[in-house]
Amino acid sequence: MYRKLLERKGYFFLGFIALWYALSKIFFDKATWELGIADNTSFTNVVGDAAGAISGNRTHSPFFVYFFNPIRLFINGFVDIIRNLIATPSNGHAAPTIGWLGVIAILAFITLATSRIRMAILVITFLLGCGALGMWADTMDTLAMTLAAVLLSLAIGIPCGIWAGLSDRVLKLFTPILDLAQILPTMVYLAPLALFFMIGEASATIATMIYSVPISIRITSHAIRSLNFSPVEASISMGATKKQTLSKVQLPMAKQMIVLGVNQTVMAALSFVVIAALIAAPGLGKPVISALTIQNTGRGFVAGLAVVLVAIMLDRATSAAAMKQKAFIPPTESEKRRKRLNVSIAGAVALGATIASHFVTALGNFPDNFDIATPISNATNSFVNFLVNDVSFLTVGFKDIISIRVLNPIEDMLARAPWFMTLTMFVIAALVLAGKRIAFLTFVLLSAIAATGLWFDAMITLTQTIVATLLTMIVGVALGIWVGRSKRADSLLRPFLDAGQTMPAFVYLVPILGLFGPTRFTAIATGIVYSIPVVVKIVGEGIRSVPESMIEAATAAGSNVRQIITKVQLPASKRALMLAANQGMIFVLAVIVIGGFVGSGGLGYIVIMGSSKPELQGKGLVAGFVILLLGVAIDRVAQAASRRA
Amino acid sequence: MKLTSRRKIALASSVMISAFAMTATFQSSSKAADCGTWGIAMHAWNGYTASAQVVTEVAKAQGCTINQSTLTEGGTTYDAMEAGTTDVIIEDWGGGRWQKWTDRGAVVLVGANGNVGKIGMFVAPWMVKKYPGITNSKNLNKYASLFKTADSGGKGAWFEGPPGYTTIGEKMIKANKLKFKAIATGSEAALISTITKAEKNKKPALIYWWEPSTLFVKVPGLDKARVNFPKNDWSDAAKASGLTDYPATPLEKLATKKLMDSGSVFAKIVKNFKWTNADQNAVAADIEGGMTPEKAAQKWIKAHPAQVKAWLA
Amino acid sequence: MSADSPMIQVKNLWKVFGSNPDKVIGTELASLTRSELRAKTGNTVAVRDVSFDVAPGEVFVVMGLSGSGKSTLVRCMTRLIEPTAGELIFSGEDILKVDGNRLRELRRTKFSMVFQHFGLLPHRKVIDNIAYPLEINGVGKAERHKRAQEVIELVGLNGYSEAYPEQLSGGMQQRVGLARALAADPEIMFLDEPFSALDPLIRRDMQSEVIRLHHELGKTMVFITHDLQEAAKVGDRIAIMRDGALIQVGTPAELVANPKDEYVANFVRDIAKSHVLTLRYIARPLRSDESAATVELDADLIIREALPTVLEAHRPIHVVSGGSSIGVVSAEDVLALIASVN
Repeated sequence: MYRKLLERKGYFFLGFIALWYALSKIFFDKATWELGIADNTSFTNVVGDAAGAISGNRTHSPFFVYFFNPIRLFINGFVDIIRNLIATPSNGHAAPTIGWLGVIAILAFITLATSRIRMAILVITFLLGCGALGMWADTMDTLAMTLAAVLLSLAIGIPCGIWAGLSDRVLKLFTPILDLAQILPTMVYLAPLALFFMIGEASATIATMIYSVPISIRITSHAIRSLNFSPVEASISMGATKKQTLSKVQLPMAKQMIVLGVNQTVMAALSFVVIAALIAAPGLGKPVISALTIQNTGRGFVAGLAVVLVAIMLDRATSAAAMKQKAFIPPTESEKRRKRLNVSIAGAVALGATIASHFVTALGNFPDNFDIATPISNATNSFVNFLVNDVSFLTVGFKDIISIRVLNPIEDMLARAPWFMTLTMFVIAALVLAGKRIAFLTFVLLSAIAATGLWFDAMITLTQTIVATLLTMIVGVALGIWVGRSKRADSLLRPFLDAGQTMPAFVYLVPILGLFGPTRFTAIATGIVYSIPVVVKIVGEGIRSVPESMIEAATAAGSNVRQIITKVQLPASKRALMLAANQGMIFVLAVIVIGGFVGSGGLGYIVIMGSSKPELQGKGLVAGFVILLLGVAIDRVAQAASRRA
Repeated sequence: MKLTSRRKIALASSVMISAFAMTATFQSSSKAADCGTWGIAMHAWNGYTASAQVVTEVAKAQGCTINQSTLTEGGTTYDAMEAGTTDVIIEDWGGGRWQKWTDRGAVVLVGANGNVGKIGMFVAPWMVKKYPGITNSKNLNKYASLFKTADSGGKGAWFEGPPGYTTIGEKMIKANKLKFKAIATGSEAALISTITKAEKNKKPALIYWWEPSTLFVKVPGLDKARVNFPKNDWSDAAKASGLTDYPATPLEKLATKKLMDSGSVFAKIVKNFKWTNADQNAVAADIEGGMTPEKAAQKWIKAHPAQVKAWLA
Repeated sequence: MSADSPMIQVKNLWKVFGSNPDKVIGTELASLTRSELRAKTGNTVAVRDVSFDVAPGEVFVVMGLSGSGKSTLVRCMTRLIEPTAGELIFSGEDILKVDGNRLRELRRTKFSMVFQHFGLLPHRKVIDNIAYPLEINGVGKAERHKRAQEVIELVGLNGYSEAYPEQLSGGMQQRVGLARALAADPEIMFLDEPFSALDPLIRRDMQSEVIRLHHELGKTMVFITHDLQEAAKVGDRIAIMRDGALIQVGTPAELVANPKDEYVANFVRDIAKSHVLTLRYIARPLRSDESAATVELDADLIIREALPTVLEAHRPIHVVSGGSSIGVVSAEDVLALIASVN
């Protein structure tokens, strides 16, 4: 009975889409609200004027004088202290206060003290690697920016996380904000932030914090909430005050997971600091972005490599510190004594190195006489040239097929049909898929998009997001099944997935650009590369968590591998699949904006343009807001649909 | 366990404290030079890098500390100057788009840098021979179908400049009644990749590009592949609003008022810096050839002592 | 044991979960069954109008199946869960009316609790776990360690004071839980299914341990369990709970001998009657064709313990209570009872 209904639903949808397509052909190019690249609407003009008024008021409006400017100056000062310490020469000194040798010594010492000696060696090697890539100063800037953002993020995130962990009301209050921060594509809030905190370190740091604070809050509150309740109850039953229970029971027990949260916060901050180069964050993001804009893939790759080195280093070092206390049982006395001795010696060495690096310029500025960056850069460039010149005829063919067979028809349906028709069709689809409430929400959000006047560009971006998500799901689910079923596949793919998640999207944008040219498909391909890791991980996890007994039962009943996958594992991990689709779509949307750099057009292009051309600033801000509306709409519909499934 | 972690912290903090102490003690010993610490904005294109790097190297030789910050051109950089994040734009194509900022006073127009920019539309050079008359805008429609792609919606693809660059493509298409569609390429890299690939594979392409640029060396014949549009008719107000071609633009220098009022030698350098398109192309070509910007700039400085000396006067 | 001054009195205690619980109590809604009420208002009655007394030094067992409300009841008694209505008199003081400070003071000095899943602090050594209640009460380190050491010896944890909970077996962990509950020398101990998570053999040891501690220290205990054998073994009196309400309260023997209803009868069926009933319950008049033996047995003697004497006598034996015979038991009577276990 139920199955029949489902089948009928399927037919209904086929018919629905056919009708949609037919209608879009009939009303092709009517009431599309297409807007020229350089054209404003009355609404974007209003926003532009408002933005202009805001930037004109920066020096005298009390909001700025007493609120935004002090925050900006505080954060700038904080960042500068750290940068002067390790990254930039200051006060006429030829090198930073602590030179390269000192930085390596101190970081190695901290790693040694909190983790194992192997980690310390890894830290030394990777830092030397960054130096040898000719990226020492940029690496230090990135580290300084990351450190500043992480310290500020934790100062906010951990107390808020504890609060949300203890109080249901606070959690309820935070959750929608945290959800929103997670959907928000990173590039969208750069421009509005810059409006208030201006272009520079402060905006970059705050933007990074918007990205990393929610993670810190989430994990800390989860750490408190997921504690075994029994010791907490025991503590209360013995008459402990809330403060005592928190400080003596909950925090010590949650410590390890909170440290793990620090690890996640660090990784998030690092990945964002690279993007924040768009609003003048110093560091490795600079060469990455300039490589993108003037097409020097090699230089971008070298910088990207340094980013990956820093990412691996920070990840391993912080997670090792968290893992070290897996059990609550500390080491024995003799172990402790040996460790203490090691740490003291290392501390003395680190101190000596730090002092030396301050006085001896050769130990202060990283030597540039051995250069591995140029050969790596040249090799990369020739590889990319090979791709571009000798492989691209294949890729261009593929691109054309997808563009003509998939992209254009969907674009015709969504963007080149009358806007009210598309809107109606979406609301009907949401009604069937997700129910009345979500349909109403869809109506409101889409109407808001229409009201901004950027309907056409929004539909262009949505089309690309949909196509990219479809392709991501096809590849991602296949890989996810493989990873979920085979340990070998998992360990084979995991390094690539991890690297894919830490590598800034800008780095692979250029080679992809070479393969597909400046087209919509390049943005789509970038979205696919960016979102596949998360989809593969979620699907793999879902497949793996299907109970062994179900598979045994199916095997005992004589199912073959294909049947086990299609009849047992996939249906049983339906929730994971839905989650993967949702996350995949959000991730795709996040980079489709970056795709504005390589010819995606649509909202991303407008956002980028708005940051350069004063007359289009309003349009850029509105485009960012429309991306947010799109993200919320996609997320809500996908979540409601997965709840129904 | 507690004891060790406390010791660890004590040790680590003693290292940190001594580091800070050293900063405090020895900062005063090294006297800051008169020039001071200033910022210069770095924009994406090679020519800009050449100019900015030469200015940076000249200033460094005078004892200045110069921080280069990579910034998107236009509004972003003006904002950054207003915020004090950076101080100098050495080459701006904007033709007055800085007005709002200069009106507010923190940013000042310093003057022309000697380079003259000329934006235009270029076909892949191989097409010039094969399709006679293609460089005349009147003939473009005849060849429009050649330029069709999967993305151009049945018209010819007209690859526009990066988002921040001055573009009037849509207006030109309209004014010249062309059967082309402006396609947002997004970055310089996208344009370079499009034209080099088209030239190599003998595929049609029509792109936005500009002088001065080293791309003319990299893609031989590109200088002959400029499409000639009718000049803008400024005499008639109605016609002037429909722009038919890009005008030649003297490129400008902008700087913060703070720098220009400081009396620093860097302000003098920025004010006096002036060179030709050929100068810029020479340095840019070296950078493109794999030299680091620093070395390329120093090479030019060494070869032109008189000119540099004039900037310092 | 004096019935006139109970250690703790529970009077008409209610706990209703869900929104607006007050609308249930004292109205006709209160008479609905659990499922009816849930269907009607969405509220769940976890504890329904429960009243009982616990005498000083008594081991009072609350027993019921899962979902019967027994764990909620014990938490209501220490206000870990706030009851909806009722009174809870401890030494003349209504605990439901005291403020947070007084409640904490009571918890620190008068009450203690042992948990099914031990509730030990994994990041602390055994000795610091045991000293924890003293620590939160502001006792100095030397003093609380001294006291903890005493309790460690009392519960047989010698040599484990420096170990961490994760290094101990389940049984040993619960000894730490017991020691912690004893550390502050409370007047009442609440034990919430303390041995349910342990293996059967260890469970039996621990039950004996509780009985031993009870004999040595004479603490009043409220003991929650779902295991009737355990209840019969450790309890002076047993209260049987079902759907939040107390069905019957009595000594093990009373419950076995006179179950109030089918539910209790089913419950107690598995108990070996000879293990809980005393001779009083099977004493019968001497038949005319019998002659009693010369030995006599006390009426409160557990049947199992009387077995050797009865079998040896070959004749009915007089059962004596308060100096006079209330009847006789014979070997046949006893064997019939043992045989009729089920």
